[in-house]
Amino acid sequence: MRIRAVVSATLASVGILVAGWQSGTHVTTTSSAVGTAAGTNGTGSTGTGGGTAGSSGSTGSSASGSTGTSGSTGSTGSTGSTGAAATAGGTFAGSVVQTRFGPVQVQISVGSGKISEVTALQLTNEDRRSVQISNYAAPVLRSEVLQAQSANVQTVSGATVTSSAYLTSLQSALDAAHL
Amino acid sequence: MQPTSELDRPELKARTFHCMGTVVSLTVPARTEDWTPAADAALAAATGVVEQLFRELDDRFSLYRHGSEASRLARGELSLREASQDFRNRYAEAAEWRLLTEGAFTPERPDGVPDLSGLVKGFAIKEAGAALQSLGLGDWCLNAGGDVLVAGSPIMGSRASWQAGIVDPQDRKTLIAAYPLGGGTGPGALATSGSAERGDHIWTSGAGISEFHQVSVAAADIVIADVLATAIVAGGIPMLNRATSGWDVEVLAIRNDGGILATAGFRG
Amino acid sequence: MNTSTQTALQPAARRVPVARNPFEGQHRRRMLKADLLTVIAWASLAGAVALWLADGGAAGFSSVAGAFTAVGIVAGLAGMDLVLLMLLLAARLPIIDGTVGHDRALEFHRKLGKPSLYLLLAHGVLLAVGYGMAEGLDPVSEAVALWVQVPDMWLAYVSTALFITVVVTSLVAVRRRFPYEFWYVVHLLTYAAVLTSLPHQFSVGGLFAEGTWQRWYWLAVCIGTGAALLHYRVLEPIVATFRHQLRVSRVVAVGHGVVSIEMAGRHLDELAGSGGRFFIWRFLAPGQWWHPHPFSLSAEPLQFDDDGGGRLRITVRDLGRGSARLARLKPGTRVAVEGPYGLFSTASRSRKHVVMIGAGIGITPIRALLESTPFAPGDATVILRGHSPSVLYLGQEVLDLCQRRGATLFHLTGRRPRGAQTWLPEKEARSGYRLASYAPDLADSDVYVCGPAGWAQNVLDDARRAGVREEQIHYERFDW
Repeated sequence: MRIRAVVSATLASVGILVAGWQSGTHVTTTSSAVGTAAGTNGTGSTGTGGGTAGSSGSTGSSASGSTGTSGSTGSTGSTGSTGAAATAGGTFAGSVVQTRFGPVQVQISVGSGKISEVTALQLTNEDRRSVQISNYAAPVLRSEVLQAQSANVQTVSGATVTSSAYLTSLQSALDAAHL
Repeated sequence: MQPTSELDRPELKARTFHCMGTVVSLTVPARTEDWTPAADAALAAATGVVEQLFRELDDRFSLYRHGSEASRLARGELSLREASQDFRNRYAEAAEWRLLTEGAFTPERPDGVPDLSGLVKGFAIKEAGAALQSLGLGDWCLNAGGDVLVAGSPIMGSRASWQAGIVDPQDRKTLIAAYPLGGGTGPGALATSGSAERGDHIWTSGAGISEFHQVSVAAADIVIADVLATAIVAGGIPMLNRATSGWDVEVLAIRNDGGILATAGFRG
Repeated sequence: MNTSTQTALQPAARRVPVARNPFEGQHRRRMLKADLLTVIAWASLAGAVALWLADGGAAGFSSVAGAFTAVGIVAGLAGMDLVLLMLLLAARLPIIDGTVGHDRALEFHRKLGKPSLYLLLAHGVLLAVGYGMAEGLDPVSEAVALWVQVPDMWLAYVSTALFITVVVTSLVAVRRRFPYEFWYVVHLLTYAAVLTSLPHQFSVGGLFAEGTWQRWYWLAVCIGTGAALLHYRVLEPIVATFRHQLRVSRVVAVGHGVVSIEMAGRHLDELAGSGGRFFIWRFLAPGQWWHPHPFSLSAEPLQFDDDGGGRLRITVRDLGRGSARLARLKPGTRVAVEGPYGLFSTASRSRKHVVMIGAGIGITPIRALLESTPFAPGDATVILRGHSPSVLYLGQEVLDLCQRRGATLFHLTGRRPRGAQTWLPEKEARSGYRLASYAPDLADSDVYVCGPAGWAQNVLDDARRAGVREEQIHYERFDW
């Protein structure tokens, strides 16, 4: 389209100039240097970017059975759907999942159409006794976590620092002290 | 002035090198009176072994190096089928992690190019740890860009654990928590991931939202710690719950609003 | 990989026609208009020369002195034509703004600045030489003689001096040394320059003599340009200001040195779809009523009632002295408004997919665009870029919008590596990430970029390397 703009601008300009010159020759008999005047019409383009229309949208599906097929990313269905069947209320048990505590079952309590409580039950293999699991991440105050000052640690863990950020990091201070 | 605390405080020696876009440091206990030129040479040699190992992995897996296997794969000059056994092993491992984390950890960039950098640093630390053990070193702390693996104790011959600090993501000059590593018991690895890291994928249609600014995971294995920390940042609360129930780990997660979630091991 | 699994399950899916690009027609029409405008611009230049030829101008080439004079006249005509084109480009004509966008128009305006000055200078010098040769005088004496003896010529000299002043103060290097206000006032001298140049064209030039074609052409072009300027730069803003009756309702701090200014007004329904486009605001408070601020809307206009009463919001950072004062605006302050301008909107869409990239305060128009531009879930990618998470302004709103509309969002924070030509943080740049890493459909997307000029240039280069064509690139400068 940019080409279209350049071509049509050139044609229009040349046409206009030739028309002007033609009507000018009626006024004057001189036509010796017309070529120079016509030359002021450059073909230089100020053109706005143009582009072909009609490039298609994305091509969606590819053929199946291609070489790159590996495990799919898809997230699996959530357990929350159990609640949909239970508008009335009550306690519902989810499927059993293997964990390091042994098989665990999630139990959902529903009251007046809303999930009121989600409990993880541990089912020990011996007596199928249900035990509440203790190792979960609970909200804590800053003062409740193990405290540290940079003076009494030997190493520092943080989100990956680049080489340049390292220079100003606590770890670099520790490393420098131990040179 | 305070002789008691001077005695308690471990005396350490550290060596560092640059690799994988960050700085790796190896720290060992070193009582001044015992610190001989031979001990110094041994530390230098151990650092050399670790560095060698990191460099080999970086040469193969870095997307930053033009000639690396990973770059050639990214450019389509090589297919996974033609890749080296090492590369395919790491890719298979990463793909397995994707299944285990239900997609929260992924070995691919959004454009489908295999990117194993999320796994390779942890793997390098793990391999380096094995190499240090085989060199006969019993007490050391290896820190690669904030991911830590330790063995033994910072005080030779004692059962004291290494104290690791965790950076406050709001103020990188201060520590938000501590965690004891090694010392004969407990997990020896600690990895931290942040949402401010690499091209962070905050949200996409179909995935969960990350509510975490920074997540630290302590585990016996550095690869597990590293992958789960990354996965929890990406996968949010559901992934955190999967991690604490599915693996033997301790987690300290800092929410975007500054609130903290911690498992028992991180609570004082 | 997901796709192949789905295909295996539903073989029929392969026959589903490729999704139509809903913006194809709009895009084709806009490109046609752009080409037409280009043709008109060149034709006007050719027309100016052609009319002179038609009136017998070529006769001058019979002698050397005549040739100098003839070329000098042509230079003057072309220069005048370019100056008028420049005025039209800056007149905010809806046809130009809606086709190439206000900042592209101003870019052409700037590009024409030096050529038109050179043409006008050549006009003066060549005529002094040509006339001088004809009268046997050296060019300097001839120039003095013209000044002293010919009525209206001194005004032409004044006009030349004014043109030189305006162009020189607009050169990038010079402009940086002065505050925006100084440049703005000097630029107003352009009108004086054009006006002072007119008398000699009519009296001395003889081009506007009775019975010539040129007379009517130039009269029409000058009056047309003047009318356009008056209408679009004076009347429309006044009408818009009275129609919308905007008042500041709230000023909220969003970050360090960044505030959102909310304004309530009437008939705001007429501005629907202008989220992301910019307006020129004048806050009618003592000491700053005269200062125009070009700011984009940072959200779609919000409508309360059926009469179009509602609220507008802009989000600004203190870039200069003028902007810093905005943080202290009092609720109730009246606001004069011109606009909306620019193509940072759905009007410039050409593809089904869209990628929106904003850095720092440049996130704000992205936020508004994200709210208003149509796309199917999964077809949009949003990238927010900043030195640290604290400068990802309106980040929460963007996240909410992405969730609601099904756009993929990336936060990229951290400094750029020193000395490298990249728009990415050091870490991503080192790992070989490119724009296409975040947006797989990049080559077939509209790419909207808003951020600091140097950074944005790197984004655009990255996009071009990935096969994005110029027409798909929509870049909003915000540093002017």
